[in-house]
Amino acid sequence: MANLDTLSARQVAAGIAAGDFSATEVARAALDAISARDGQTQAFLQVSEELALSAAAATDAARAAGQALAPLAGVPVAFKDNMNLLGTRTTCASRMLEPYESAYTATCVQRMLDAGVTPLGKLNMDEFAFGSTTDSSAFHPTNNPWDVARVPGGSSGGSAAAVAAGEVTIALGSDTGGSIRQPASLCGVVGMKPTYGAVSRYGVVAFGSSLDQVGPMGRRVEDVALAMNALTAGGHDRFDSTSQNCDQDYLAHLDDSIEGRRVGVIPALLQAEGLTPEVRAAMRQAADGLAAAGAVIVEVDLPNMANSIAAYYVLAPCEAFSNLARFDGVRYGYQEPGCATLAEQSSLSRAHGFGAEAKRRQMLGAYLLSSGIYERYYLAAQKVRTLITADYQRAFGQVDVILMPASPTVAWEHGAISDPAALYLADVFTISNNIAGNCGISVPVCLGADSGLPIGAQLQGPAFADAQLLTFARALERSCGMEGSVAPAFAGKGGELR
Amino acid sequence: MKKLAEVLRDWEAVIGLEVHTELTTLETKMFCNCRLSHDDDPNANVCPICLGMPGALPVPNEKAIESIVMAGIATNCEVMRHSMFYRKHYFYPDMAKNFQTTQGPVAFVMHGHLDLEVSGQGAKERPDSTVEKAQDGSYVASIRILRIHMEEDAAKMNHVGGAEGRIGGASESLIDYNRCGTPLIELVTEPDLRTPEEARLFMEKLRQTFLTLGISDCSLESGSMRCDGNISLRRRGETRFGTKTEMKNINSLKSLHDALEYEICRQAEVLEEGGIVYQETRHWEPSRRRTVVMRVKETADDYRMYPDPDLAPFDLSDEFVERCRARVPELPDAKRDRYVATWGLRRSDATQLAGDPAVARFFEDAADVTGAKVVPTLANVMVNLVPSFKALTVAQVASISSLLAADAITFAQAREVLEVVDGTEGDPERVVDERGMRQSTDTDALGAIVDEVLGRCTAQVQQYRDGNRKVLGFLVGQCMKASKGSGNPKMFNQLLAQRLEA
Amino acid sequence: MALTREDVAGIADYARIALTDAELDEMTAYMNDAVELLDPILEYDLDDVEPTFHPIGELVNVVRDDIVAPGLPLEEALANAGSRQGRYFRVPAILADGGAA
Repeated sequence: MANLDTLSARQVAAGIAAGDFSATEVARAALDAISARDGQTQAFLQVSEELALSAAAATDAARAAGQALAPLAGVPVAFKDNMNLLGTRTTCASRMLEPYESAYTATCVQRMLDAGVTPLGKLNMDEFAFGSTTDSSAFHPTNNPWDVARVPGGSSGGSAAAVAAGEVTIALGSDTGGSIRQPASLCGVVGMKPTYGAVSRYGVVAFGSSLDQVGPMGRRVEDVALAMNALTAGGHDRFDSTSQNCDQDYLAHLDDSIEGRRVGVIPALLQAEGLTPEVRAAMRQAADGLAAAGAVIVEVDLPNMANSIAAYYVLAPCEAFSNLARFDGVRYGYQEPGCATLAEQSSLSRAHGFGAEAKRRQMLGAYLLSSGIYERYYLAAQKVRTLITADYQRAFGQVDVILMPASPTVAWEHGAISDPAALYLADVFTISNNIAGNCGISVPVCLGADSGLPIGAQLQGPAFADAQLLTFARALERSCGMEGSVAPAFAGKGGELR
Repeated sequence: MKKLAEVLRDWEAVIGLEVHTELTTLETKMFCNCRLSHDDDPNANVCPICLGMPGALPVPNEKAIESIVMAGIATNCEVMRHSMFYRKHYFYPDMAKNFQTTQGPVAFVMHGHLDLEVSGQGAKERPDSTVEKAQDGSYVASIRILRIHMEEDAAKMNHVGGAEGRIGGASESLIDYNRCGTPLIELVTEPDLRTPEEARLFMEKLRQTFLTLGISDCSLESGSMRCDGNISLRRRGETRFGTKTEMKNINSLKSLHDALEYEICRQAEVLEEGGIVYQETRHWEPSRRRTVVMRVKETADDYRMYPDPDLAPFDLSDEFVERCRARVPELPDAKRDRYVATWGLRRSDATQLAGDPAVARFFEDAADVTGAKVVPTLANVMVNLVPSFKALTVAQVASISSLLAADAITFAQAREVLEVVDGTEGDPERVVDERGMRQSTDTDALGAIVDEVLGRCTAQVQQYRDGNRKVLGFLVGQCMKASKGSGNPKMFNQLLAQRLEA
Repeated sequence: MALTREDVAGIADYARIALTDAELDEMTAYMNDAVELLDPILEYDLDDVEPTFHPIGELVNVVRDDIVAPGLPLEEALANAGSRQGRYFRVPAILADGGAA
């Protein structure tokens, strides 16, 4: 029988529909893979065995009753732990929310469940999504399946690692400044940040509300496209005022030719400080691959992109301060015991519930929003956002997508970078995409010539051109031959369908 | 302390109001589908959104936005096509998110006004000549409205363990989030009010306007309408503003007047003694008829306002605004003018009837029954009789008005009949007949009674003829008594006069 | 215009984040470094540029109908609360002992 490592989401669903194996067998195989592999990756914060088995049983019952199966029926999926799912805790990898039982289910999670998936649990992340290593999780770090001494990236590091290690077929992550694309690149998986508004944010614990976007991660572009179908099914979510109708079949044009289509590159970006030679080489390989598939490579410029880091580190902390104000230990979350006054209880609950980076970001935001400072920074940053958006609009007048790295380096060792500001600067390739609200995707290109670790290439597309972006991603995937790769150290460990 | 009249001769009071009104007539909260709470058990109407659960997002209630636009149109405001919601941050658990969703520099509606007709005793509060006064001392004050913005109400906190549920001395506080997220509109006036009476009239008119729109039950007692007053004094002739205090806990129109009156006199005393008025929030204690300090504002609060990224901006269409305009019913001023023009009512009666939409509807329904001729009598009944009864029907009031207009019963008898039928479906005509109240207008029958009375009251007849016309009243009374109340007093009056003058 | 330790303590007080003395020193250093990172924003001439508060294109007037939907049952609403009393969420005294207001 097959191992889940080698099956695409479509093959899992088709196998269940055909009776090759049952959803319960798939769920047990996934649980088996997790128990064999997660000790090494530490990708999971909770494994929801009961939910998984009952969802799988429902799928099997539906099949037995002769009902048509949903498109992702029985596919093993897990969720970043900032997504509410009834029956699980939603901790955001924070002491603050350690005891918090989800009071409801997020729309993105529900839509995956509606598409028939088997929910395996909740995945590790940087605390409240503040970070790019997953080391700031209050519970434990997550290890990169390609080298467990290294970080998986972040903040959706648990999602990337679980997919890369073959613990699940698809994981959902969230991306505020690169938190899906960067760990996808570092773990050698496909990670997509859809257009802002394409996927509902309802039920996803907010970090930067105008930047956050949920997206799928998988080992194949096709799996990610299938997940996009599920996430956008039903169109606009009436519980998210900023969500828009992006319901379409993302598989329909996946294998369209890109002959004559235009791919932008930004030469100056490849000279960026800190960009390693192997990443630069990988970008050349990606461009060559797309050109070989018939695409025309065109030089474009995003003149304000370098300043997107400054704009982001105004907008994101301000919105984070505001969004995290609700965590005061009154209605839910960590409550400092034995306090005589409310102010003491709030201040100590927040002091002891939040980790260092969460406190730093909120402090910075509280300062930047204060009277007199707001105009100088926040308002100005929102104007710079207008300029960055206009840059993209000009560039997308010339090209369909823009190719660039998702990370300037491959995965680094735990603790190798400790200065927060240095970590902030590594986000230069991903941040501007969130600022403009466009779509982006990281696709594995190769293993680095020097490190032997995976390197992804990022493609960015205009808002609401998510299907077109997937077409280019699929073309890139075909040219690179990394499709479906489970990290070698984990391949075949558990996960056997019996 | 000096009296208000004395103070206002030397000092000008500068008053602005902030009025919060809950949109109690809606079904659901501002940003979630929870039912609006009235007398529900604590935390019965809550959900992840209004509890600020992690990941929950707001979606605005369209009806609430229609309501605020209607409120703006009814108060002569400009509808601002482009506006946004903002987040206003302060850490206090009555706001589940530790920020309140409200509006920024641009509100849905701005720059309106209400015109107040100030007359009678109330007009005397304003001694200055900066307004044009009519001969009877009445005047019109136009009060500008800066803005009305949309926001969400806070939860109710019960402070326990201390005295009278006050926060000071309380050992803990219990939170009920039922009210949290209730749609709330905040109206801010320009500092155009000059007397407590003007402030009272403004609130009364605003309340009548909102009641007419049907957007709130506007109860000051229960707190669905709340009013804070900002007040400062300056010497007459001075153009700069003095330091203001803010007045809270005003739960009736009378409290508003009395609290402002007290505060004006208090501030005058402080200033005249060479003291300083501190910028502070003061609490009105109705039982002690005084204001006390709640908290001193040393620095302006920094609420770190910024546009709420979770809520799409608004760009109200012409169609939306016109739909709201079409839903604005006839407002009290227009209604009053129509009553005066159509039925020749006294302006003061018309004002009273037009103010409360429930009263106006009752009155107009009764007018449909009685016909135009009886309406002035009906208005009199509505103003002077109906308020003393619990539950009269339109038919009863119409009937009693018709009986009065036909001189079939006296006003005193009308009151007696209404006491019988109040709270029942009873027919006033039947009560009149059963009790033999119907006054006779038969000249011959009444003439006989008059002759009998004149025959026995010779002393009074002589007094009348000697020039004491007042004695006529006594004689009418004797006639009424002799007729056991069934004679029409007006007819007796005429017949007596005819015979005595003959 | 560097942020002083006192400035940072004031912000921490406002943001309800209790900091130890050592944390306050670290936070002050961090905040000044972080603010320096933002300098590029200050170099723009933005007088004629409109802000983009919402990266949602032309999307406006997103509203919902005024229709009641069931909320959370009481026990679920209170399930995550650290302190409750009966049907209420509970917090300690708002004011310290002897506080008058």
